[in-house]
Amino acid sequence: MSHASLANSPSRPWRFQAEPLLRGLAILVVSTVMLFPVYWMLLSSLRPSSDSLSFPPPLLPHGIDVSAYVQLFTDKPIAHWLMLSTLVASLTVVATLILVIPAAYALSRLYWAGRSAFGLLLLFTQMMPAAVVVAPILMLYRSLGWTDNLWALALLHTAFVVPLCAWVLKSSFDAVPKEIVEAALIDGCDRWKVLWLILLPLTRPGLVAVSVIAFFASWNEYLFASTLITKNDLYTASLGLATLMTQLDTPLFVLMAAGVTFSVLPVFFYMAIQRHLLRGLTAGAVKG
Amino acid sequence: MALAPALPGTATPARRRAKARNGVVGSRAFPYLLILPMLALEGALVVFPILRGALFSLETEDGLSLDNYRSMLVDPDFWRMIRTTLIFTLSVDIAILAIGLSLALLMNWSFRGRGLVRSLLTIPWAIPEVPVAITFVLMLDPSFGVFNSFLRFFTGASESPQWLLDPVLAMLVVITVTVWKGFPFYSLVLLSALQSVPDELYEAARIDGAGKISQFRHVTLPGISGTLALLAVLAFIYSTQQFTLIWLITGGGPVDATTTLAPAIYMQAFRFYNFSYAGAIAVVGFLISAIATTFFVTIQRRLEMRE
Repeated sequence: MSHASLANSPSRPWRFQAEPLLRGLAILVVSTVMLFPVYWMLLSSLRPSSDSLSFPPPLLPHGIDVSAYVQLFTDKPIAHWLMLSTLVASLTVVATLILVIPAAYALSRLYWAGRSAFGLLLLFTQMMPAAVVVAPILMLYRSLGWTDNLWALALLHTAFVVPLCAWVLKSSFDAVPKEIVEAALIDGCDRWKVLWLILLPLTRPGLVAVSVIAFFASWNEYLFASTLITKNDLYTASLGLATLMTQLDTPLFVLMAAGVTFSVLPVFFYMAIQRHLLRGLTAGAVKG
Repeated sequence: MALAPALPGTATPARRRAKARNGVVGSRAFPYLLILPMLALEGALVVFPILRGALFSLETEDGLSLDNYRSMLVDPDFWRMIRTTLIFTLSVDIAILAIGLSLALLMNWSFRGRGLVRSLLTIPWAIPEVPVAITFVLMLDPSFGVFNSFLRFFTGASESPQWLLDPVLAMLVVITVTVWKGFPFYSLVLLSALQSVPDELYEAARIDGAGKISQFRHVTLPGISGTLALLAVLAFIYSTQQFTLIWLITGGGPVDATTTLAPAIYMQAFRFYNFSYAGAIAVVGFLISAIATTFFVTIQRRLEMRE
């Protein structure tokens, strides 16, 4: 690649003038438009309360005011909601890892009758809209006495994120060279030792990706939470936030501050591991 | 790297050795023990509810019957919902791929700060749906929303449209927001597909005298067509599954103008408490997803064979 561009550059000097400028401009414009809602969310949450209803709304901050955040954490139970979301999402991660590690191992490294059928089942559950099963799930949970139960909610989140996670982890297991596993087998490792001593240490980024996917799938989930959780003190953050939205007495800048607070964690994590996450997700989708 | 795993039935030496070693942990049952917990969970919380829902759809006052389906198929509201779902899904699909690809093409040029742009574009994808809905609802507010002030600035109109009260505009809004939240993923995947198209092909095309447009048509497009096809199916799934954004932004309204499949099922079940009718719609949703899955698997098989 570098040879080609080296050989090429002297003969095409014009490329380094007009085109980059135009492209740069296009990228700048597109990014600005695309990111404007994010900017607006942040700006509205940091605007002094006196400003928040003025029209037209100023496009630049008149100074930063964190009173929305102060009000949010003192007047609204957001800390409690965030804590419950963290709890449910952590349970989802633990359950997901427990289920996904052995299954990905079986899918990636073992040969058995029914493997492709199981793969199809996973693909199939991955594509099922949650709305299709929400009513029967509610009936089932009611009969089991599992409504208003955060453990049971986490279990449901697990069921819906596990198929994708199994694919992602399978693709990282697949990437471990066969020779390493074979050598370990010859050295006398049994099947479990291959998993614990070889595969898991070598696929740590895959495990991180799976954990992040499971955590935020649960953290963001709204439909199941809203149908299964009715008690105010069991509200997770997405549920609490949605109720703030419909309560007319919530000041706008507080609502925006709540939105920002709820988004900080996923945005940070997704940005931090986006490259790896994309590789895993597309591998899961493409090699499915 | 092996894209397709060794087919069952082709006994490689490694496999024979592996089989011999299986005895250490036990037996042929080993792989089944590994998948059992997951199988149980998926069976109980996905497959069983689908079957239960299908049964709901057959339950009527006089025992099991197809009455729900009969009334569904003659219900103009059902067909309207199907039409709304198709409009929504196809628009999201086309827009997300078009925007995703344009942006990927822009970013395929190396420039300073590309990494930063790439990271920033992850943001809409990473923001949870509930805050996304809140942000857009506030931005669209006809009296104090920022869109209104943009409109006034650019068109001089003093009245802002009632974005969420007009059926066409509301549809436009939910499509836009769904695309906005989803496009970074498609863009970033397409970017990596673009980067895997070999430079030599562009070289050859240039030597043959191909211009920018014909390079795009004859080199770029064929090089990423597999990825594009898969992303089209993923976007289809993403949009048919969409509930939260639509529900929180329009509630399916005004007058059902944005009621796609997922909100329709939800409303039948939890607003009208008509579980059996909701079940019938859910079966339709299930069939749509099953067809999409089959389509997806077919494409993927074909791609694997091509490689």
